[in-house]
Amino acid sequence: MTSDDVVQTNELHKRFGPIHAVDGVTLSVRRGEIYGLLGPNGSGKTTLIRLLLGLLRPTSGSIRLLGEDMPNKAILGQVGYMTQTSALYEELSVRENVAFFAEMCGRKDRVWMDEVIELVELQDRSRSPVRTLSGGLRQRTSLACTLAHRPRLLLLDEPTVGVDPQLRATFWSYFRRLADSGVTLIVSSHVMDEAERCDRLGFMRQGKLLAEGTAAEIRRQKGAGTLEEAFLQFAAAGLEGDSR
Amino acid sequence: MNSRRILSLARRVILQVLHDRRTLVLIVVGPLIILNLLAILFRTAPAAIPLGVVNEDLGITSPVGGTINLGQRIADELAAGDTFTLVALDREAVDSSLRDDSVQAVIVFPEDFTTHFLQDRQAVLEVRLEGSDPTRSQAISAQVTQAAMRSLASLAGTAMGASPITQAGEGTLPVTLHATYLFGGQEFDAMDYVAPVYIAFLGMFFVFLLACVAFLRERSQGTMERLAATPATRTDIVLGYMIGLGLFALIQVAAILFYTVWVLKIHYLGSLGLLFLVIALLAVAGVTMGILASAFARTEFQVIQFIPLVIFPQALLGGLFWPVSDLPAYLQPFAYLMPLYYANRAMRDVMLKGWGLAEIWPNLAILVGFIAALIVLSALMMRREVA
Repeated sequence: MTSDDVVQTNELHKRFGPIHAVDGVTLSVRRGEIYGLLGPNGSGKTTLIRLLLGLLRPTSGSIRLLGEDMPNKAILGQVGYMTQTSALYEELSVRENVAFFAEMCGRKDRVWMDEVIELVELQDRSRSPVRTLSGGLRQRTSLACTLAHRPRLLLLDEPTVGVDPQLRATFWSYFRRLADSGVTLIVSSHVMDEAERCDRLGFMRQGKLLAEGTAAEIRRQKGAGTLEEAFLQFAAAGLEGDSR
Repeated sequence: MNSRRILSLARRVILQVLHDRRTLVLIVVGPLIILNLLAILFRTAPAAIPLGVVNEDLGITSPVGGTINLGQRIADELAAGDTFTLVALDREAVDSSLRDDSVQAVIVFPEDFTTHFLQDRQAVLEVRLEGSDPTRSQAISAQVTQAAMRSLASLAGTAMGASPITQAGEGTLPVTLHATYLFGGQEFDAMDYVAPVYIAFLGMFFVFLLACVAFLRERSQGTMERLAATPATRTDIVLGYMIGLGLFALIQVAAILFYTVWVLKIHYLGSLGLLFLVIALLAVAGVTMGILASAFARTEFQVIQFIPLVIFPQALLGGLFWPVSDLPAYLQPFAYLMPLYYANRAMRDVMLKGWGLAEIWPNLAILVGFIAALIVLSALMMRREVA
């Protein structure tokens, strides 16, 4: 590994009983990179992200985040995690939620909090209890909570689910700005047009990392016109591999 | 109304319960456990009451009937039933024996007890009662009076007693009971006796449920997952909850104390500050118990099921209704496992006996120990979700 590798896993396995949720994933993500984790539902994306954070113990294999061996509680103060469902305190206001998660990571910076809330366009609702917000607004609050402590590494589990196309574009331009400033992002998704915006992609299926590379490389490998076709071909190839 | 829809709804409800095995088991088993406990408790004959006897009676010797010692006769009569176990005491040891709970009451027969009776046709029984439980005080007084009556009646057969007993005027009893109290007194009623325990129980019950639900929601709304992905440790989380909910527990405790003391006008001795400390400790124990219990629940519905499993046994065995000393021996260890038991003892000692920190500290120390153990257990139980 090089000093630029922010995320590094080696032969990572996670079994839940008979289910092999993550099956030998070796991954490295460089500083300032947006790494797209693609794959159908149940392919192991969320399990992989939870393993990276130390929320699950791997059955075997090793993980390093920001140069530290995991699990390591202290390093989590520099990591932002956005869960698939917007996990928020319903009774608290948007701002109180953001402030709480910033404090949990040991950093509370009022100016930065305002900036984050503005980014997700919630400045008008910042005093509203989360209970009163619609699904899309919750998702935005959730992103604000993830960014509240200026993390160096972001693990975003389907961050744009339930977000309208306009705001999705805003999210992605912000992700790019973060990456340019040296923040590393791992974004899981099953939306292909989002995949095009990532620096590098990993395609997961049944816990295995089937293909890796830039969008162009992946299309070229399978001689496909679109990413979607390429992935369907990878998936089909993976299926043949399974049946052998 | 649409009968098909109603049936579909019913079917769905049945399916939901069937899929929740634990609920199913608890619905059936929960009430049985409680009924069983109640049956044991109600069917347990109250343990014999330890009764101290100071017998200084010299009796009287007559040429006809030989020696008669009335004090001894009454003592023998008291010992004959299952109600009392007698403990012979010296006059000096009366209060100390009452204080350390080795006897519940002491009956004192002075030197001239028999002589006096023969002169006045009146047996004056001096009874010193522990006094903190008014119901028990009354029961002891009544039992002692009856035993005395029976032994006097048996005298009627002897030459000695024949005349005075039969000639006693109608409606006047030959026995008067002169009761004094170590703690409490006649002005203490049953509510005064149970109030300390109820206060403690309520102080724990509500925060237990509050903590249980609050912690459960942390998991169900997914924020526990998010919290787990921050540097916050399990112990941080448990302690944070303890302090946060503990604050409301204290407010509640203050309200309960204020109401019982000033509005319900409960008699109490001892310091109010100390009472507050005891209930506050129990309430904090309640919070940690709630956090621990929530680890075993997946839904708020299952939390409600903890009431029969966690709360009822505490209420039944912790000394709320039955004194722990009256429980069958195999149930007593359970009482010692319950924080409520120690809080009850401390509360009663303060409110009814006027004891201070110097006397009740062992109970408080045990409560602190419970809290510490519960914090550790709660943190360990969280391991499953917070790596």
